[in-house]
Amino acid sequence: MSTNELTLTPSQSPSLVNNKLSLSPSQALGAVRRPVNTNGWRAWLFTVDHKKIGIMYGVVAFTFFIVGGVEALLIRLQLALPDGRILSADKYNQMFTMHGTTMIFLFAMPTAAAFANYFLPLQIGARDVAFPRLNALSFWLFIAGGLILNASWFLGGAADGGWFMYAPNSGPVFSPSNGVDFWILGLQIAGIASLIGSINLIVTVLNMRAPGMTLMKMPVFTWMILVVQFLLVFSLPVITVALVLLMFQRSYGATFFDVSQGADPLLWQHLFWIFGHPEVYVLILPGFGIISEVLPTFSRKPLFGYPFVVFSGASIGLVGFGVWAHHMFASGLGPVSVAVFSMATMAIAIPTGVKIFNWILTMWGGKIWYSAAMKFAIGLVVLFTIGGLSGVTHAVAPSDTQQTDTYYIVAHFHYVLFGGMVFGLFSGFYYWWPKVFGKLLNEKLGSWNFWLMVIGMNLTFGPMHILGLQGQPRRMYIWTEARAGEGFFNFGFWNLVSSIGSFVLAVGVLFFIINVIKTSRNPERAPLDPWDARTLEWLTTSPPKVHNFDRVPVVHHLDEFFHRKYEEDEANHSMKSIAIGEDLIRAEEDAADADIHLPGPSYWPLLLAIGVAVLGLGVVYGTPIMVVGALVVLFASFGWVLEPSVPEAIDFDSPSHDGHTKEIAPLG
Amino acid sequence: MDSVNNVKSSSHRIRNSIATIIGFVVLAGCATNAPQDTWQPKGDNAQIINNLQWIVFPMAGVVGVLVLGFYAYTIYKYNDRGQPIPSQSHGKPIVEIILTIIPALILTVVGVFTFRGIFELANTEDTEMVINVTGQQWWWEYDYPAQDEQGITQPIISSGQLVIPVGTKVLLRETSRDVIHSYWIPALNGKKDAVPGRINLLRLQADKPGIFAGQCTEFCGLSHANMRMEAIALSQEDFAKWVANQQKAYTAPATGSLAKEGESVFLNQCIRCHQVNGLKKADGTPALAAPDENVYSGAAPNLSHLMSRITFAGAKFDLLNKSCRSDVWDASSETIGGKYLAGVSESCLNATHLRAWLRNAPAMKPMYADPAKLASSGGKYRGMPNLGLTETDIDKLVAYLLTLK
Repeated sequence: MSTNELTLTPSQSPSLVNNKLSLSPSQALGAVRRPVNTNGWRAWLFTVDHKKIGIMYGVVAFTFFIVGGVEALLIRLQLALPDGRILSADKYNQMFTMHGTTMIFLFAMPTAAAFANYFLPLQIGARDVAFPRLNALSFWLFIAGGLILNASWFLGGAADGGWFMYAPNSGPVFSPSNGVDFWILGLQIAGIASLIGSINLIVTVLNMRAPGMTLMKMPVFTWMILVVQFLLVFSLPVITVALVLLMFQRSYGATFFDVSQGADPLLWQHLFWIFGHPEVYVLILPGFGIISEVLPTFSRKPLFGYPFVVFSGASIGLVGFGVWAHHMFASGLGPVSVAVFSMATMAIAIPTGVKIFNWILTMWGGKIWYSAAMKFAIGLVVLFTIGGLSGVTHAVAPSDTQQTDTYYIVAHFHYVLFGGMVFGLFSGFYYWWPKVFGKLLNEKLGSWNFWLMVIGMNLTFGPMHILGLQGQPRRMYIWTEARAGEGFFNFGFWNLVSSIGSFVLAVGVLFFIINVIKTSRNPERAPLDPWDARTLEWLTTSPPKVHNFDRVPVVHHLDEFFHRKYEEDEANHSMKSIAIGEDLIRAEEDAADADIHLPGPSYWPLLLAIGVAVLGLGVVYGTPIMVVGALVVLFASFGWVLEPSVPEAIDFDSPSHDGHTKEIAPLG
Repeated sequence: MDSVNNVKSSSHRIRNSIATIIGFVVLAGCATNAPQDTWQPKGDNAQIINNLQWIVFPMAGVVGVLVLGFYAYTIYKYNDRGQPIPSQSHGKPIVEIILTIIPALILTVVGVFTFRGIFELANTEDTEMVINVTGQQWWWEYDYPAQDEQGITQPIISSGQLVIPVGTKVLLRETSRDVIHSYWIPALNGKKDAVPGRINLLRLQADKPGIFAGQCTEFCGLSHANMRMEAIALSQEDFAKWVANQQKAYTAPATGSLAKEGESVFLNQCIRCHQVNGLKKADGTPALAAPDENVYSGAAPNLSHLMSRITFAGAKFDLLNKSCRSDVWDASSETIGGKYLAGVSESCLNATHLRAWLRNAPAMKPMYADPAKLASSGGKYRGMPNLGLTETDIDKLVAYLLTLK
């Protein structure tokens, strides 16, 4: 069976091919037949292909990156000079709330989801994720959450309580606009998306690895994504509860955070940070995973101390659940709690340090190629080291009571998140672009992109260390000369430098966009193995076929692909080439598996997500809307469960075969 | 106390030597005299924190320079110069273990000092004076309970500026009337949140007389940026004078004066929220403010001795004009007490801001004072509304307020 026939064509639609007596359930339901388009916009809307979903995640998340970036630029414009007049106090508060929320929930997490969706199945030699339709549902719910969050700008003002949304300031009296309601619903829906996605990816990793790929032969990126999914599974329910409480308080008169009714507002802080701190590692670990692929590839050496990196990642994840109260050192926890959380926070620096050492030692003794992807990876190590060390200063709780809620914290977490996460994601863009689109991003523009981002990032966030240590608090719509100090290097100087830096940073990002446009117009195809890469995702065409691998690979090594290309020279222990990547990939095509099962496209994930969004809007706009949403959810759910996961046309094991399928079929 | 001094003296030596080396490099880029600098402790509590900062920051700096230096060398040395693809070694466990133990040891040392610092700062047993501090959108109220040892025979209520005697271990008992705020005078101690429904304790102690700037540091809504405060440390004698003045009985303005007319404007308008102790209505009965009926959070600043303070409206604006302001703020620790106690005279008054405030307060500081937007708070204000006063009323009120020394 040729692989090209695997995708459905209209002539294969169920009604035409199904010559059995029983009707398929989707036909039984009447109006809606399974979508069959393989190209055009419908192919994207109804797809369950993890690669298409991954690309859509990436595109939408990058759009939100631009939205959040514009919000950041407005903030920096406002703060460039004392008593800024660009934004009102109200708009400024909305701006920093939405900047944080957008960057975390609508850019960082979905971009990581984009990489995870696209590359995790490829790295473990699978044909798709375990539950392809749930995967599509995750994506559409994320879109619904993102749209609801940002719709608030046009429907009476966005949320204005900060991304941490502390009670009781988030209550109906103190934040009377609908902004916080939209925020709650948007996050709740995006949270469902992440939760579904995390379960999906955990099952995928645990059940669908290629033969021979033990957990300790799994690429580090996949490992870090796995750790992140466990963090999400255990932390998202906590924020879900917090959001439900807040929703009932705001919309239905409950009093969970109402002090006059005996509530303790610190409840919110505990719930929020029990989620919020693991969330920090949810954001950073995918970046760590990406550079743990990039650094070895471009150093031509395996990751130094692979098991140590894996276990330090896992222990960061575990200890990450025991440090949440370091966000609350000033809230009056009492010295015993403060001491415990202070020590736990110091402890988490140890596995983090292990990672940094291992990255550096990966490069030590290597044969390093400074490509754009590698530059971003190196940038991550440097910037994250700085951010990590300023993090250690926060672990000293008394010192933290001086620095918390000042710009020193803003500097710290931007070095960690922008330096650590965003640089990791950009490294991933350059590294995997040829895999996804079959074209190489321009290296020269990539270099401009990198250097402008490094310079811009350090100009923007570097001065914030000084501003914070000298007492400029954060979340203030203006700063005043009365508190700005004297001399040439007063707050006026550093705030201006920071604002200028933010525009340099923006130009750096613009170079990436230019690079993407230029590359898309360039007809030249990338070689199949442009980086002399090491892991399984490169053992297939670029972009990969819809079924990923012509033959499910059998794994013998960590860095399987590399070890198929090289073997050790007995004489001097250096590596000598035994095969070319392109030849290996062609060889796979010649030995393609028969009877490859793939899930069919479906309307239901999109429809269900629309239903959930309408249901959510009902909380703000009243019960009738909610009823409509509930009906759509109900209809879509029934449609979903009655639809077989794999189209009838190919959901069939030919009796002529021995009944043995060579891959585990996705479950739907 | 002994242990605190020990920490101080031992780290003073380390500090001085490191400060001269690193100090030049780092401090060269810093503002001078930043009022909220976290590295300029002016009392024991801030000193304990500063000692810890001088342990962890240099440590982080040295580790950072070593790690990044080694990294830079690696980046330079192993550039692809045509060397063969190296052996695919997966690392050496012994290296891993050493590189795990070293940071663990460094952090243990830091941890021991941190542990000690946390408990030292939490100590409240030898407190010598108590002040209740209440945060409200967007200003601070200070309530000094009667305490004979400090000469406070009847409670004092003030706002904006916290006045404390030097060398005295002052315990702030913090709470809030609405959302969470955070009290922060960097020169005297770290932050402590003021949480509604809870009482959090924060110790302050100032070594020398001076004005120490602060700012609310927990995001508290619309005008968070405008919620400032100062702590004023006065010598024991000056503090006694300040207490005596705060406890002084009310003197009504002379009949027929502009201030007397201002008093009736006050009785017409301001008394709805603002108390002036001892003020009587025209019929001789006590004039009592009822802020709980008009302000959502339930209080408004007590103005009994407004002109003994030098800032107003959540310390956002100066009551002193520019030259008088710098005269006080820049005064030496010897002279500052006298200058502060002089209060605000007519010639020193920052009339521009005070008048603008009386004319239209919400235009000066963002507040929820627009009646159309008060549905969620049951029609009650969050902040001072525009009272629609005429310019003549404002003249009268300013004259009256100037008498509230």
